[in-house]
Amino acid sequence: MGMEKNVSKDFKLKPMKCELNFLSKSDGSTILSQGDTVAVVSVNGPLDIKSTSQSIEKSTLEVLYCTKGGKPSVADRYKENVIRQTCETAILGSLYPRTGITVTIQELEDYGGLLSCCLNCTCLALLNSGVSMRCVYAAVTCAVDESGDIVLEPPKHQLQTARAVMTFVYDSREKSLVTSFTEGMFSEDTYKEALARCHAASDLIFSFYRDIVSKYANVI
Amino acid sequence: MAEIYKLIHPLKYFTDYISREVRPDGRKFDEQRNIKLNVNSLKTAEASAVVKCGNTTVVCGIQLELATPKAEEPDLGYLVTNLELPALCSPKYRPGPPSDHAQVTNYLVSDIITNSKCINLKDLCIVPDKLAWVLYCDIVCLDNDGSLVDACIIALMASLKTLCLPSVTYDNDTEDIKVNADIRTPLKVHGLPVATSFAVYKLPDRNILLTDPSAYEEEMCGGIGANFIVCSNEGLLCGTQKFGGSNLLSDSQEESLKISRDRTNVVKKVIETSIKNDNEFVS
Repeated sequence: MGMEKNVSKDFKLKPMKCELNFLSKSDGSTILSQGDTVAVVSVNGPLDIKSTSQSIEKSTLEVLYCTKGGKPSVADRYKENVIRQTCETAILGSLYPRTGITVTIQELEDYGGLLSCCLNCTCLALLNSGVSMRCVYAAVTCAVDESGDIVLEPPKHQLQTARAVMTFVYDSREKSLVTSFTEGMFSEDTYKEALARCHAASDLIFSFYRDIVSKYANVI
Repeated sequence: MAEIYKLIHPLKYFTDYISREVRPDGRKFDEQRNIKLNVNSLKTAEASAVVKCGNTTVVCGIQLELATPKAEEPDLGYLVTNLELPALCSPKYRPGPPSDHAQVTNYLVSDIITNSKCINLKDLCIVPDKLAWVLYCDIVCLDNDGSLVDACIIALMASLKTLCLPSVTYDNDTEDIKVNADIRTPLKVHGLPVATSFAVYKLPDRNILLTDPSAYEEEMCGGIGANFIVCSNEGLLCGTQKFGGSNLLSDSQEESLKISRDRTNVVKKVIETSIKNDNEFVS
């Protein structure tokens, strides 16, 4: 792993490494590293849950996001919410009414772009667990630096000086926007350009998913 | 008859309306609800505002307090927002500790205020490392009928715009603090962030963007709260959050940016008029 020369190259993302079935007791689990940022996700379900949180129409999705520091904050709640809503659009929950699916995310290393790493890792873990899904999704983070240029998957020092940081999630079927999450100020044109860049970059992540899944399918 | 139909076939009822280019409450897709605003309605708060967007009612009050700045940021004051969603505003909430939704919405609101840079926290500092203002912005929702973030931002900005800080003298040697409530300076507010909520509904052949959705519409579009929120301050975007609901194609994004520009002008006018009326009333 290392910061390879992806500084100004447009459509090159940080090297990604991934291992499925990383944990032995979960229904599905994945460890994913994007550059130096690493996250582990475990998926369990569909399981029995207490009757108050059951939904008769679809399965209830529960997302737990654990930071390295361990102390949960309101910002973590917000990230949990972003991840849960994204997974909910991808999972065919109506196939598992009155059940619960739990997704647990553990941050291991954060060198920038943790949210998109967590989202991609969650998607792979859901695939690994065998839960029926409508589509897969890919998350890309980009930053707008001081001169107004857009940097895909910025390293940590660039994130601190960036004017704005945006994370976009695209689905695999229509390639349309599932989730967007932005911080900072930016103009409309920058926003549109960032959307287009991340859209193009999401294709790389989808092809990475395909490689990983076909690799593990051969083993089985 | 329509009521029974709505209960038996909730989804079909909604789709029938949408496919005829009208929303169940009679609005067009890009039509927003009326905004009613009243500033300085609470006499016990330093600044306050009550806003009604359709049925959504939000009250915001600001309290002032003095505190020592954080050691890491000795020249910054504090702006603390707190959103309360009591059980009276919607049957979805139970009494007790703040729900997840309240925490998420509160985070969204405070995020918009920070990102838009409309308040420079340095203005709240009186003596670096010694004394700074704390603005406690308490927002209470009385009736939640959708587009909660929009209403919260309007109430908060209207209150901040009317806020005047009392003059404070601080003696460096004796650490004596004197507050003179008669001499007041208005707080500097840079620009006016405005949030516009949308719900995205999926028809078989296209996606529909519903501006300023009601709670019923938000529910039908599958989201907890609105699906897509665009915020802008003085022409610059300061947050575009999308979660849940149907996916968004690029042409609907263009449309949403245009609608949010129009709404910004409307909200600006409402806030300015209401502050002007209040000033005339006082004098």
